[in-house]
Amino acid sequence: MNPVIPAPVPVPLPAPAWLLEFLLVFTFILHLLAMDFLLGGVIILSVSSYLGRRDSRHREFTRRVSRAMPSIAAFTITLGVAPLLFLQLVYGQLFYASSALMAWYWLAVVFLVLLGYYGVYWYQMQHDELGPKALWVILAAAVLFIHVAFIFTQNMTAMLHPQDFYDLFVRGQVGTILGLVAPLNIIRLAHFVVAAIALAGLGVTLLSHCWRTESSELAEWGRRYGVTWFMGGTVVQFLVGLWFLFSLPVEVRQALVGDKLVVGILVSAFILALLALLSAPKSLTASSVAILGTISMMAVVRHFVRSASLRPYFDPHSLPVQGQWEVFCIFVVLLLAGLGTVGWMLYVFFRPGATRGASTYSPS
Amino acid sequence: MLGGGMVIGIIAILHVFVSHFAVGGGLFLPLTERKAYRENNPALLEYVKSHSEFFVLVVLVFGAVSGVGIWWSIGLVNPEATATLIHVFVWGWAIEWVFFIVEIAAAFIYYYGWDRLDPKTHLLVGWIYFGAAWASLLVINGILAFMLTPGRWIEAQTFVSAYFNPGMLPSLVVRTAVCIALAGVYALITSSAVGDVALRNEVARYAAKWLLLGVSIIPLAGVWYISTLPGMAREISMGAAPAVTIFAGLSIFLSALVVAFTYFGPYQRPRYFSIAFAFLLASLALSTTGVTEWVREAVRKPYIIYDYMYTNSMRVADVDRVREEGVLKSARWVRQHDVDLNAPERTGDEVFRVECASCHTVDGYNSIRYAVKGWSWAMIDYQLVHLNELKGFMPPFVGTEVERKALGAWLASLNPLPATIAIEPEASAAESQSKEAAGEGARQP
Repeated sequence: MNPVIPAPVPVPLPAPAWLLEFLLVFTFILHLLAMDFLLGGVIILSVSSYLGRRDSRHREFTRRVSRAMPSIAAFTITLGVAPLLFLQLVYGQLFYASSALMAWYWLAVVFLVLLGYYGVYWYQMQHDELGPKALWVILAAAVLFIHVAFIFTQNMTAMLHPQDFYDLFVRGQVGTILGLVAPLNIIRLAHFVVAAIALAGLGVTLLSHCWRTESSELAEWGRRYGVTWFMGGTVVQFLVGLWFLFSLPVEVRQALVGDKLVVGILVSAFILALLALLSAPKSLTASSVAILGTISMMAVVRHFVRSASLRPYFDPHSLPVQGQWEVFCIFVVLLLAGLGTVGWMLYVFFRPGATRGASTYSPS
Repeated sequence: MLGGGMVIGIIAILHVFVSHFAVGGGLFLPLTERKAYRENNPALLEYVKSHSEFFVLVVLVFGAVSGVGIWWSIGLVNPEATATLIHVFVWGWAIEWVFFIVEIAAAFIYYYGWDRLDPKTHLLVGWIYFGAAWASLLVINGILAFMLTPGRWIEAQTFVSAYFNPGMLPSLVVRTAVCIALAGVYALITSSAVGDVALRNEVARYAAKWLLLGVSIIPLAGVWYISTLPGMAREISMGAAPAVTIFAGLSIFLSALVVAFTYFGPYQRPRYFSIAFAFLLASLALSTTGVTEWVREAVRKPYIIYDYMYTNSMRVADVDRVREEGVLKSARWVRQHDVDLNAPERTGDEVFRVECASCHTVDGYNSIRYAVKGWSWAMIDYQLVHLNELKGFMPPFVGTEVERKALGAWLASLNPLPATIAIEPEASAAESQSKEAAGEGARQP
């Protein structure tokens, strides 16, 4: 039986494919930063919660880091909306088909995220009251989020294999099919989880930096602890990343290696990661900028992998386009205004000297 | 067992109940905070602070995740319609996303800012939250109304014609009123937990006013909204489909109950107001939301995007082609592309999955086995031929005659009819038995 490749809907794209792909990759990078901090953060917090049973520094560390987690969870979800929107627009037919094959698992993401998110709140709000039990709460959140990551990598990998959809559909029970792309998706999951741990290491290092006025000792301890996670994660990532590259289907890897631009990006990403690793103990800024570069470049490479995998079956650049430019312009203007508003709110929140709080207001 | 529609329904109703609170509560917080400042009432301010924590836990977590859940479920159940909507409205959704980011940042800064921001700035952040939340409603409301009243878009196919559809404005007024009413419902819940009796009475009465104000706007705006609906949608809600009519009546009845309970309860006698009463009101309000959303979805039948796509993802423009080609030939996800004439009911199963399974399950929600119980094959076939005429809320059967008959054979096989028994006098029965035996014998070589 010839493979059935799902067809896109007969409605023109509202903008050229290159612009939608750019927005897909750009907003995905934003989502990735928050998601890495969340996923890696709950893993690091789990370890620290365990160590905190005997070590008061770990207890103080988890108490402080936990305060940041609910808002990071909120931004992970919200920043994830945009890339998923553009993914559905450009690759919808493939994404819907791969989602339908694993429908029940895919739907479970909603409930796993909900539970994990409430877990993060619970951990933060009841950190001291929970005592040693706090470990179980944050560990549960970590396990839930790793499952979410697994289902995501599964679906994002599966949608790149439309040639297998029909066979799976004929043979399996639609809605419960998971084993499409093992072991590739397991390696991909490892790649993402290790990246999350490394980035969250850097994230807690940055957070510790904010504690220096209150407790310089804890800030310094937190910095060294975070950098250890970052460096450890990055070193492991060199191995996992290579393993992932060599697990890709031969034709995809050949397409990547044959493209000078991709090779250039990969090599630059590697050099930047090396720079980030080496500069981490000395300069937080240099390390952060370098790793931001690595993440952005890897997101671009990821897009090349997607295009190369799908090339035999689907090219979004061949789709008809009917630009909705006037609405696009409104979007851009509102995006800038929205970011400006958020920037202003963050400024007034963090500016020093706001001592008289609204809750203690008294006109007298 | 759970049909796709049921999964969407459960997630969507809970999301509607929380997301309208996300907007209405966003108005409630700064207005009540301002009231506390103006009246120099620190106890009320303390209440607003605790309400903001409840608000964050309900809205930012459940509201956001259930909203994503709707996306998840519609993409799984109705990918064609979802993809169409995203093609038409992607920039609308992108704009809504910008408002979400502002909304979430503002909510956190409002919540964490009680002790860090001065009152004026804190209030301003509250207003920014409300502005962004209402703007996100403004965007999504146009998209939701579009599905029922796509208006000029069917010909024009532009964003403006799709967004500014006939139902958009009245629906916006109805939803804004619902937001105000739900702000009252949730405030009643938190007010019932206030320890100080005087404050509890004051806040309960104040929250009841919000609920009553919101509900008082709904009838007029609702009539306006209904006036923009397609004729068939109005008929379905007013008698053509009994289940829908019953639910429409139930929606009005439950709303009246909510008003009565609120007026005679926390509004007139706040002293007797309790947590149990608050939850009773909230569950009544949730039921009202549930049945009303169900009716709104039901009157759109047989379409998912009115006049453009049927509930089973069949485009109106494709009907003639599919009738000629056959539904199995034009569908991708089928195991057989031709009817197996030796076992038509097996192919009928495939036709059912492609054409009916987006609304029906075999034995669970909207069970097809139950729907055709007691029907003969001839009756089933007659129904299939005239499906959209006999049942206005169902799309026509689209496919070749052979496919229709295969579907009929499968449907008939779901409830095997009992064998016909001829009742005869005992003597003649014995006679016929001996005749049968003789016949059997005669047939043997």
